[in-house]
Amino acid sequence: MTASIINRIITERPTHDGSLTITALGHRTTVPLSSFHDRARAVAGALHRRGVGAGDRIGILSANRLEWVLLDVAALMLGAQTAGFEPGKFSPGADLVRRYGLDALYTDTRLPDDAPSGVLPISTVADYAEEDPDGFEPEQWTATQCTTVKFTSGSTGTPKGLEATVGSIDSSLNAVQSLFAHRPGDNILTFLPLSLLQQRYWLYSALHWGHDITITTYQSVFAVLPSVRPTVVMGVPAFFDTAKRHIEGVIAGGVEPAEAAAELFGDRIRYLWTGSAPADPATLGFYGEVGLTIFEGYGLNETCITTKNHPGAHREGSVGRALPGKEVVIDAEGIVCVRSDHPVNTAYTYAAPGESERMFQPGGMVRTGDLGRLDEDGYLYILGRSDDVIVLDNAKKIIVRPVETRFRDTGAVAECVVYCPSPAGLVAVVSPHPGPVDTAAIRDALAAVNAVSERDERIIRVIVADEPFTVEGGLLTSQFKPIRKQIAGRYSDRIDDPKAGLLVH
Amino acid sequence: MSTDLDTLAREKLSHVLRDHPDPASLDLGENLVDTYGITSLNKVLFLTSLCRAADIGLDNFTEDDLAGMRTLGDVVDTLRPHAAPRG
Repeated sequence: MTASIINRIITERPTHDGSLTITALGHRTTVPLSSFHDRARAVAGALHRRGVGAGDRIGILSANRLEWVLLDVAALMLGAQTAGFEPGKFSPGADLVRRYGLDALYTDTRLPDDAPSGVLPISTVADYAEEDPDGFEPEQWTATQCTTVKFTSGSTGTPKGLEATVGSIDSSLNAVQSLFAHRPGDNILTFLPLSLLQQRYWLYSALHWGHDITITTYQSVFAVLPSVRPTVVMGVPAFFDTAKRHIEGVIAGGVEPAEAAAELFGDRIRYLWTGSAPADPATLGFYGEVGLTIFEGYGLNETCITTKNHPGAHREGSVGRALPGKEVVIDAEGIVCVRSDHPVNTAYTYAAPGESERMFQPGGMVRTGDLGRLDEDGYLYILGRSDDVIVLDNAKKIIVRPVETRFRDTGAVAECVVYCPSPAGLVAVVSPHPGPVDTAAIRDALAAVNAVSERDERIIRVIVADEPFTVEGGLLTSQFKPIRKQIAGRYSDRIDDPKAGLLVH
Repeated sequence: MSTDLDTLAREKLSHVLRDHPDPASLDLGENLVDTYGITSLNKVLFLTSLCRAADIGLDNFTEDDLAGMRTLGDVVDTLRPHAAPRG
């Protein structure tokens, strides 16, 4: 394998002109990546003097900010591991420190009165960055060492913790670069929580390949997009759906499509990146119509990015072909399995008994639990989750995702999750769009969905959620995916009540 | 100007809401999330559109300001000091 990118970015001060911008409503800071590297080294030196070193684990519980990435790169330089905790889902108390074996924890949340001594405000890191690195020299990593613990975003219950190997990070960075050739002049914008390792990949990519990177937050992303003028936007389907509705409204007001798109995304977009959940085909088509290229991909925390459409190989409806270093196999049950030259890991570090064995198979294979098919040219199509297969009394298996997608694609609802509480038939819980609920439109949509569904796939009742599913409300992951179990729990009374909701007449 | 800003705010909120209700029917005191179901992404789109239409710099506001804009009335009150008088 070629020299480790991780080792190079911590060892070599950038000589290119790439820059890092941290921005949100009301503030913007841009630093050359060479200067960022100096500051990260100063932070590493400061941490080292405070007793943090190779093999230690630094927890970070904070919204996106400069100190987050300074800590991350400083930890890489120290040979220390980071554990990124998603804001709002964890509390910075003694329990977190103990449960995850943290040697330090930096947070932007108010410290509890009984916070252990190693729990500090993340703003402290800005002071560290001003200290003299005092001769500190970065450590080096081996390919099988793990730089970070990443946590599943919770779509399947309690977050599982997974340590990621340097080899897997290097492999993913090289593979993505081989497809997209990010280069000086590019500015990649990312807004999802930095606790998601892949969001930090773009910083590592910028340090290595010399492009610019902008980090913002999902609360501010639409406010800063036009002025940042990124060339690449890393998003998820819910983000692109929201942007689509906005742009459609602007177009309806008489603005040319390309102009309306540029008004929101800026005028330099090279491509848009979507992943983490299935994209609505209508949304993907829309972006093509307004002149913006969008590429869908596929991967789990456990596999990292696995397939991706890209300028050189793009097939509509698919999530692309396997990246270099990845192999996709569909097993006898139709489940997507992924083998990696450099696996993310072979087991979870934190998970309930049996979870690792279910996911990680012998030979470095990860059994994703997603149902899929490969076409003759190796393009992968995701059909649904094996967990989401409902087996009816007549033994027929129903994959609920296509039913849910069909309902969502009517445009009458923002999200749809289908359950089968009784043999009577399927029940949908739908997330309404913002604004007054249009019951008539939802009824019409239900009729339209059922009209094109097989008999066993028909929905007999629709529960309209009391409010749209949101991240803050605990019904969407940070990547805006519906959390099936949480939704079932929240609406169980109505799901189980045969008279609740909108009934099919 | 306050009347102009009220009107613009109602129009832009209606625009963000899926069924584009009559702007005049929107209640300045209702909670944007609880009553109108606005999401974080839609909220910032609404603010962005309103600031552009009212010629108010977005850089006058922070995420804390945005979080504090719980009702349409809050939005108007927060923006009003930054709105230039119109003849």
